[in-house]
Amino acid sequence: MRHRFIFVLLTAAMVSALVSGCGGADTPEAGGAQNQEQTLETPEPAEAKDTVVVAMGPTSEPESGFDPAYGWGAGEHVHEPLIQSTLTVTTPDLSIDYDLATDMQVSDDGMVWTVTIRDDVKFTDGEPLTAEDVAFTYNTVKESSSVNDFTMLKEASALDDTTVEFQMEKPYSIWPYTMAIVGIVPEHAYGPDYGEHPVGSGRYIMKQWDKGQQIIFEANPDYYGEAPKMKQVTVVFMDEDAAFAAALAGQVDLTYTAASYADQTVAGYQLLSYKTVDNRGFNLPAIPASTDADGNQVGNDLTSDVRVRRAINIGIDREEMIRNVLNGHGTAAYSICDGMPWYNDEAQVSCDPDQAAALLDEAGWKTGSDGVREKDGVKAQLNILYSSGDSVRQALAADTQNQLKALGIDASIEGVGWDTAYTRAQAEPLMWGWGAHTPMELYNIYHTIDGLAEYSPYANETVDQYMDEALAATSLEESYDLWKKAQWDGTTGVTQEGDIPWIWLCNIDHLYWAKEDLKVAEQKLHPHGHGWSIVNNVDQWYWE
Amino acid sequence: MRRINGRMMTAALLGAAVLFLFVITVAGHMYAEEALVTDFSRKDLSPGGAYIFGTDWLGRDMFIRTLTGLSMSIQIGILAACVSSVLALILGVLAATMGKTADALITWVIDLVMGIPHILLLILISYAFGKGFKGVVVGVALTHWTSLARVIRGEVLQLKEALYIRAAQKLGMSQLKIAWKHMLPHLFPQFLVGLILTFPHAILHEASITFLGFGLPPEQPAIGIILSESMKYLAMGRWWLALFPGLLLVFTVVLFDVAGESLRKLLDPGSTHK
Repeated sequence: MRHRFIFVLLTAAMVSALVSGCGGADTPEAGGAQNQEQTLETPEPAEAKDTVVVAMGPTSEPESGFDPAYGWGAGEHVHEPLIQSTLTVTTPDLSIDYDLATDMQVSDDGMVWTVTIRDDVKFTDGEPLTAEDVAFTYNTVKESSSVNDFTMLKEASALDDTTVEFQMEKPYSIWPYTMAIVGIVPEHAYGPDYGEHPVGSGRYIMKQWDKGQQIIFEANPDYYGEAPKMKQVTVVFMDEDAAFAAALAGQVDLTYTAASYADQTVAGYQLLSYKTVDNRGFNLPAIPASTDADGNQVGNDLTSDVRVRRAINIGIDREEMIRNVLNGHGTAAYSICDGMPWYNDEAQVSCDPDQAAALLDEAGWKTGSDGVREKDGVKAQLNILYSSGDSVRQALAADTQNQLKALGIDASIEGVGWDTAYTRAQAEPLMWGWGAHTPMELYNIYHTIDGLAEYSPYANETVDQYMDEALAATSLEESYDLWKKAQWDGTTGVTQEGDIPWIWLCNIDHLYWAKEDLKVAEQKLHPHGHGWSIVNNVDQWYWE
Repeated sequence: MRRINGRMMTAALLGAAVLFLFVITVAGHMYAEEALVTDFSRKDLSPGGAYIFGTDWLGRDMFIRTLTGLSMSIQIGILAACVSSVLALILGVLAATMGKTADALITWVIDLVMGIPHILLLILISYAFGKGFKGVVVGVALTHWTSLARVIRGEVLQLKEALYIRAAQKLGMSQLKIAWKHMLPHLFPQFLVGLILTFPHAILHEASITFLGFGLPPEQPAIGIILSESMKYLAMGRWWLALFPGLLLVFTVVLFDVAGESLRKLLDPGSTHK
């Protein structure tokens, strides 16, 4: 009896402690959340609102901070660095304009670039930006960039305060596109912790960075160009579903979203859709299967026949794919650079299953009793790889599988991690995503290194030669023509009538939920990476 | 007419549980091909009519996918639990019979494996073995033997003092022969119950490691994959992607538990006459 009494007493004590404990902990937290919401939400009633909260995916948070040497702006996903100025900028139609630069000249042999810069630019710590800083920046990224290739640069040097000279290792006509993504850092304030405490001369100053949560930018009051209309930009990092929930709750002004959410409606928000060159496509190894020195499989016996590759290219119904997988939010892709000044529209094909079947028949792959094509007793089989965390690539792979089955190719799909994907893509198709504001992507995909292209085995001397010539060209206009010829010159290339070693499926529209009264400035074709590109011109956004 | 007693009820329960699990396994196996089929003309259908569990964003039939997923989970569970239990049996017996050094060593390994959080060790092993089916089975098998090994070691230590074992020793039988001939039959009930009670653990761990993305590739119909994919679609109101597979997973685990408990009751001398 006594025991029971003590038990009841103890239980009562515990329960009350629990309740009060929860209550105690709860109050400040709830208050905190409310405060935060207020700062995010409440517009200043008198003046026009000049702050914006943008949500991006967690992978957009720059791991190594805002240092161009570690991929800020000039990384895998190119964008304008906001905090720093660049020498050049890309215009809405992806040609080149000036930011810091006032003039640029290239020597006739393409080996020396001379750029003059503005003399009225100051870093946000008050120091002037000189040609020394520019040279320092480029020498630094050349030395330490782990994410971008600067091997074409030999050395940068300042001739005087406003003139900088780039000595090249080899001619590189598209250097202005590289200059558009490298943010200029101050030599006097650069160190190992620069990434976390960046000083620049760009439109915004990084004010606060709560890792894993948000980054707050404030307009640079001394900016040499047009003053930013948005005085404060807060970027928060959220997963797709959390970002959607944040839009439902009205906590963000603009958030990225995916096609699978596009048929939802969010009160007070509109769905913005931007065209991109963020393409998806898969490689078809263009040499017969063998094993290389490391014991890895290279090449594929089915796709080494150009007729099979051509059949796949015209057998795929891209529109059906865009409807099914992207809910209509995409455009058909025929190259890695659709819509860019260096795009050759000869790449475009129309879907023709009959012609595809005829090509497969011609190649010797005859339909067997089970509907799968065979040649010399071997079934036409293709295993399509995709990166296992990416639902869009998985769906594209699945749809490709279904479409290939209709052609008589027994396809399967397999999710893989990036640790093995690159090696396995040497022998099997992999669902890739590419698209950048530089023709260098063509080079990376199709040009040979030691006999074969890097990402999927393929080689064509003529194509190589056009691209080498394009890099050696003395003007961008001249180089565009050569890049186009590398794709198709009338007799050979990488398009349908050529070698077609890659099949391009679609360019994925970048989708955003934006508050109805937020006016987002006109966007350039977004490159690969559904992240920072949207805020390239956040300084020109405004509220109505 | 005989009255239905507790033992018969328990036996019936055991039979029903085993039969149900068997049916799921076989059905899942039969539909293995079908579970991979994507068909965009029927995507995002809510449950009802032809698709009682609905379909997902790739137009896959969730009923078939769940069945196949469970079937795969059960197979992985059985395989991993068997390997794990045999490992436990061998190590447990060795520890108890092979002298002080072996005992210390094996106890140390048990403590070591138990000391590392299960899921961490599982991820590590699965990753090292290249993920996929092999990685998960090896991972689960190598992490679930410890507690059973302990039980068996304790049992053997007790047995060693039993009269008939000591008699066998005095008669000059070798250690191994004693272990094989006299101890194993005695250990069998504990072993069997331990084995069956490892299943639910193995299945849940298979689901969680796959949920975290370190197990099977995402086109495979595994329960962990189904559940982790469904998370993304909850905000869009597609509740059926998570609910039915989740419920069935819980149901399966409970069934294994029921089967294990029933078996224990049937084998336990203390409840023979109930």
